[in-house]
Amino acid sequence: MPAAQLAGAFIESAINKLLSLDPASQKRLIALNGKQLVVAVKELPWPLTFIFNDKISLLMTAAEQPDCRIALSLSTLNKLKDTSQLTRLIQERELELIGDIHVAQSFSVLLNELDIDWEEQLSVYTGDVVAHQTIYGAKQLVARFKEHGQQLQQGLSDALIQEKQLIAHPMAIEQFSQAVNQLRSDTERLDARLKRLSQKQQG
Amino acid sequence: MQDPQEQTHFGFKNVDKAQKASMVADVFHSVAGKYDLMNDLMSMGIHRLWKRFTIDCSGVRQGQKVLDLAGGTGDLTAKFSRIVGNTGQVVLADINDSMLKVGRDKLRDRGILGNVEYVQANAEALPFPDNTFDIITIAFGLRNVTDKDKALASMYRVLKPGGRLLVLEFSKPEYELLNKVYDAYSFHLLPKIGQLVANDAESYQYLAESIRMHPDQETLKGMMEQVGFEQTTYHNLTGGIVALHRGFKF
Ligand SMILES: C[S@@+](CC[C@H](N)C(=O)[O-])C[C@H]1O[C@@H](n2cnc3c(N)ncnc32)[C@H](O)[C@@H]1O
Repeated sequence: MPAAQLAGAFIESAINKLLSLDPASQKRLIALNGKQLVVAVKELPWPLTFIFNDKISLLMTAAEQPDCRIALSLSTLNKLKDTSQLTRLIQERELELIGDIHVAQSFSVLLNELDIDWEEQLSVYTGDVVAHQTIYGAKQLVARFKEHGQQLQQGLSDALIQEKQLIAHPMAIEQFSQAVNQLRSDTERLDARLKRLSQKQQG
Repeated sequence: MQDPQEQTHFGFKNVDKAQKASMVADVFHSVAGKYDLMNDLMSMGIHRLWKRFTIDCSGVRQGQKVLDLAGGTGDLTAKFSRIVGNTGQVVLADINDSMLKVGRDKLRDRGILGNVEYVQANAEALPFPDNTFDIITIAFGLRNVTDKDKALASMYRVLKPGGRLLVLEFSKPEYELLNKVYDAYSFHLLPKIGQLVANDAESYQYLAESIRMHPDQETLKGMMEQVGFEQTTYHNLTGGIVALHRGFKF
């Protein structure tokens, strides 16, 4: 499975879905029409290229001659939603920018409106988080299997006992054995009385 | 042995070479309307990822000229069109006018810009001047072409020096187990899905057979090199069910 393309397809359709829900951002997209922006996120194995037309297309590779190119870390990507931060981020070298800053600005305005949690969306694809997710996922899976296993057992015995009456319910067994005990002591008592009666007759 | 001049394979059947094109045409005429739906069902949507991978490997840029050969309903064309922008151009070429028509309608509905041209053409004899395109893609198309060597040579001719060809096509799964599962899927399940959804089991039987008859990774790589492509490589996708071949013209 091409994981990068899966991520790309997912992010692209999510962004475009959000865009389509918001007429204002559609208008903002026009300002970016025909532009290409490369975003290199440090934690990601591949750079992203955003291409702006009537919708946004996303490539999981770097366009060769983009209008603008930025490099940053995942946490900075989320800060980018605040457009006023852009120049500060560049000054503080949290973000490297080559090319047309207006493209980055317009994109930042768009992001701001779409309100995407990038860290959340992309962290799935970054190194150690993948490991954590995988282990966590596997644990959850095991837990779910166990839970299902228990449910299954419960369901099975319920079905066998109540619906099919194939095996006796524990309560019934208990009752039965109590009844048997009762009977046994009753017979024992009867037996004892009989013995006493016969002794009296003989005596 | 069949005389290769006279006969070729149509799926597992041997047919006259002259006949194959029209038989392939019948298949795609009959599936055109349901083509996209079937694509999604058959590959469980994964064909979209294979196509995305193709675009990512194309190195396509703004202003370039792209040929989407055997482009059918235009999935790749739509993406290329957005990337090359107003200064670029995409030619969607297909031998089959039903597929072209479905493609044209679909792209128009999607608001694809005026940079797409639709051309009915046979891959074996492309109606373009030498050195026309920066990129040529042929996705799930080469398998249907009667004379593949001729088609590859024709693509080489119309490609600009420095340009690249990308062939996305079903190939040979890398693992024996996958091969078996895949066989069961394509020969038993696929025609049934075809029957249910498109009411056309036969076309999908052809599909499964044509996939099997298609040259494997190394063979296709060799065929590309034979007509002049250089730096030829391939990349297996989904365990080699599909492979993306890439070659350059220098
Ligand atoms: C399986 S479809 C692929 C469509 C599209 N590229 C995709 O990936 O969805 C194969 C296409 O190849 C076309 N085709 C078959 N033989 C051809 C030829 N000799 N020249 C050009 N196109 C051909 C068919 O008409 C059909 O549209």
